[in-house]
Amino acid sequence: MLLDFALPDHERKLIPEGRVSGSMPWVIAIMTFLTVLAAAAGLVLANAALQGGADLARQVTVQIIEPDPAARTAQRDTVANMLRSEAGVTEVAPVPDARVRELLSPWLGSDVIDAEIPVPSLIDITLDEPANESVLTALAAKIRKLAPSAKLDSQASWMAPFSNLMNSLLLLTGGILLLLLLATATSVMIAIRSALNTHRETIEIMHMMGGTDLQAARLFQRRMALDALFGGVVGFILASAIIWLLSLQFSAAGTSLLTGASMPWYGWIILALIPLAVMGLAMLIARRTVISALKKIL
Amino acid sequence: MPSVRAMQSVVEFDNVGLRYGTGSETLTDLTFKLYPGSFYFLTGASGAGKTSLLKLLYLAHRPSRGAIQMFGEDAVTLPRDRLPGFRRRIGVVFQDFRLVEHLSTFDNIALPLRISGIQEKDIKGPVTEMLNWIGLAERAEARPATLSGGEQQRVAIARAVIGRPEVLVADEPTGNVDPEMAKRLLQLFAALNKLGTTIVVATHDIHLLQEIEGSQMMRLDKGRLSDPTGSLKNPPKPLILKS
Repeated sequence: MLLDFALPDHERKLIPEGRVSGSMPWVIAIMTFLTVLAAAAGLVLANAALQGGADLARQVTVQIIEPDPAARTAQRDTVANMLRSEAGVTEVAPVPDARVRELLSPWLGSDVIDAEIPVPSLIDITLDEPANESVLTALAAKIRKLAPSAKLDSQASWMAPFSNLMNSLLLLTGGILLLLLLATATSVMIAIRSALNTHRETIEIMHMMGGTDLQAARLFQRRMALDALFGGVVGFILASAIIWLLSLQFSAAGTSLLTGASMPWYGWIILALIPLAVMGLAMLIARRTVISALKKIL
Repeated sequence: MPSVRAMQSVVEFDNVGLRYGTGSETLTDLTFKLYPGSFYFLTGASGAGKTSLLKLLYLAHRPSRGAIQMFGEDAVTLPRDRLPGFRRRIGVVFQDFRLVEHLSTFDNIALPLRISGIQEKDIKGPVTEMLNWIGLAERAEARPATLSGGEQQRVAIARAVIGRPEVLVADEPTGNVDPEMAKRLLQLFAALNKLGTTIVVATHDIHLLQEIEGSQMMRLDKGRLSDPTGSLKNPPKPLILKS
């Protein structure tokens, strides 16, 4: 079908050179602009979900809940030493008690913690792969031999609502993309029907001389392809400029809040393919619209 | 023409009727055969159904009833995707010319060849020759809107004959040209006819019959062939010409 783009010069002239419809390239430019922005949002979200999710899924916290402070500290050190030699554990970071108190003080008050409440000892560990149930169970068993009151918290457990939110946003982005493509296809269909009416006389003459539906369809799909390519490139350039400006603002806002919220390298390739996809879609719709309309006449 | 009679017909109508919508029949009970290499004039008053009959001949319509055989095949039930192949064997001169407005004279004449997929290198020669023949070589690049009615008619005729069709159907092809040009165009038809093309010319001017030796007349009267057997079997008589 795409080969029909390269029609011989004399065949191109059968309907007047120029655009299918005056406003069509601009409609496609707007649609491509919105599609590229929606796709970019989807790619950034997916990247953030993948990066953040993958990092957090490898994080596990060991809590040692022992009332006796000396025993608690001893158990923490023993467990930390054991974990350092454990296969599959890439990083072991005991959290200093002062840091634990600092984390709890906004809720419990620093005086109360020091005097009355025993706080657990924490060890942050990073695994080489996302933690699964069997790995956690095996690890917990080994830890409890050294610290019977120890408890393991996988970060993935509190990540679940966040993952659900990310998935919902991705689905929403996908839905918006589909709607935009549907709107583009409908616009193309309307433009082609209008162009067919404009050139009905020429098409009828071609038919009476033995022209086929496919010959007529190729003429319209080529013109639509040119319109779509022009509109697609304009829309892509504008959207890329917006994405670039936004990425500058994201960088300026700091990375702690927006960890992983960046466009992956392959994202730009996907975005660059959108104008071509829009052109392909426009050609396909043009071809089907023309052939379907011509079938209604003898 | 006994030798022609022995040949297989190129077109055969059997009890054909044509009705537009729910109105009365425009064409009724048409039964006739057209033979290869024959020349027919189709006459009749305005509204007699000449253009409708031509539309059936160039496959712009299917009949409401009856059977039509073209080139040995049933044209009534012919699948739509085979129509282009049949239409390429038929040349048409429309009454209103139907030239493509945005194409030059040259490109209009070359249109049937290009539609048939003839290579560009094989198009220039025949089209230029045809332009010379119809006296419009100087206007090869002119658009139809800038041509006179007679010039447009000549372009329409050139376009219809350029592909050497097996059947040529012409609706009032000499209506807008002077007598001298009308004679030249008829000579063109006659030359094509000698090469084997079956020609059907719808005209009010029955005197044209004198110009083509051996031509036959089909006369339509209110959608019926007034003498569907006699007029087709015999060459036109002087009596008919006088009427």
